[in-house]
Amino acid sequence: MKRDPVILIVVAMVISVMLVLGVRRVHHLAVVPAGKLQGQPAPDFTLTTPEGKTLKLSDFHGKAVLLNFWATWCEPCKVEMPWFVDLQKKYGPQGLQVLGIAMDDASPNAISTFAQKMGVNYPILVGKEEVGAQYGGIDYLPSTFYITREGKVLDHVFGLASRSEIEANIEKALRQQVATK
Amino acid sequence: MKNVLCASALLLSSALALPEDLARSKALVSMEPAGTTAIDRGKPGTVELQFRVARGFHVNSNQPKQEYLKKTELKLDAPTDIVIGRTIYPPGEDRSFPFAPTDKLSVYSGDFAIGVVVRPLHSVLPARYAIHGVLKYQACDNAACYPPKQLPVTFEVRVTRGQGRGKKNPRQSPHAHS
Repeated sequence: MKRDPVILIVVAMVISVMLVLGVRRVHHLAVVPAGKLQGQPAPDFTLTTPEGKTLKLSDFHGKAVLLNFWATWCEPCKVEMPWFVDLQKKYGPQGLQVLGIAMDDASPNAISTFAQKMGVNYPILVGKEEVGAQYGGIDYLPSTFYITREGKVLDHVFGLASRSEIEANIEKALRQQVATK
Repeated sequence: MKNVLCASALLLSSALALPEDLARSKALVSMEPAGTTAIDRGKPGTVELQFRVARGFHVNSNQPKQEYLKKTELKLDAPTDIVIGRTIYPPGEDRSFPFAPTDKLSVYSGDFAIGVVVRPLHSVLPARYAIHGVLKYQACDNAACYPPKQLPVTFEVRVTRGQGRGKKNPRQSPHAHS
């Protein structure tokens, strides 16, 4: 069978490009779309605080977790932080744990200084891209996930939310255990 | 033949255009095509680069008011014997946003231009030279911020001989003795 060399060249080029893209995608982090996480167990992770203390998400099993991805260069994130401080005080005794993950290229020291300036009363963790990828790839900041006491993702909000919306989601996450008991 | 080409194009486009990749690679700042700027060798010339911020977004200016904010910054690599001088950034526009209505941020939005002073040394051969670099920026909209990005920047300068031939030694009289 006679083969047209042009066809062979085109097919070879397409295969080469797809191979290159495939390799790139394999090397790239496996990103789970955030929408698919809803109702699913929240991906566990291990991260360190700027001071070097290691924390796992699973350490907080039994608590409702507000997982907030933020950065020092993100102005809308700064709006939410004082709310989280207040809400941690208000709902902490009922079982809420706010966790902040800094998706930042600033030094741990700078992150710590920033958090202190903001009066943060909850753990701040130094983020890693692979943890962001587990949560859908954090392309927008702030990004906040609400995790039930059972460790399932209840909801997520990308961008700045209103305080009342945040509070409503916290209450839902806290109630979840009551509903399943 | 036609079928094979169509199938190949489809395969290629589907491999290239996965939605999450498109979202991640979305350029919030673009550069207008820069023409070629003619500059005499040995003399400084200014190249103006035009950028456009996508509608609804803003980037910090080169001199943001808050220390933690990422400034917009042009980084260039010049060919040997072409000196990149001062980068002239426009002043930022002081604006407040719904997420912090009482604060003023120094930002660029819409179109903005950055000037670059380029000086080819006397030793440079008259020709066209491409200068490459990146524009570092970090964009936000009214409710969210996007991770810092780098926009590839390329422009061309045409180095000319110029009118004069540079500084010459003063003419000396062979008979001038003191």
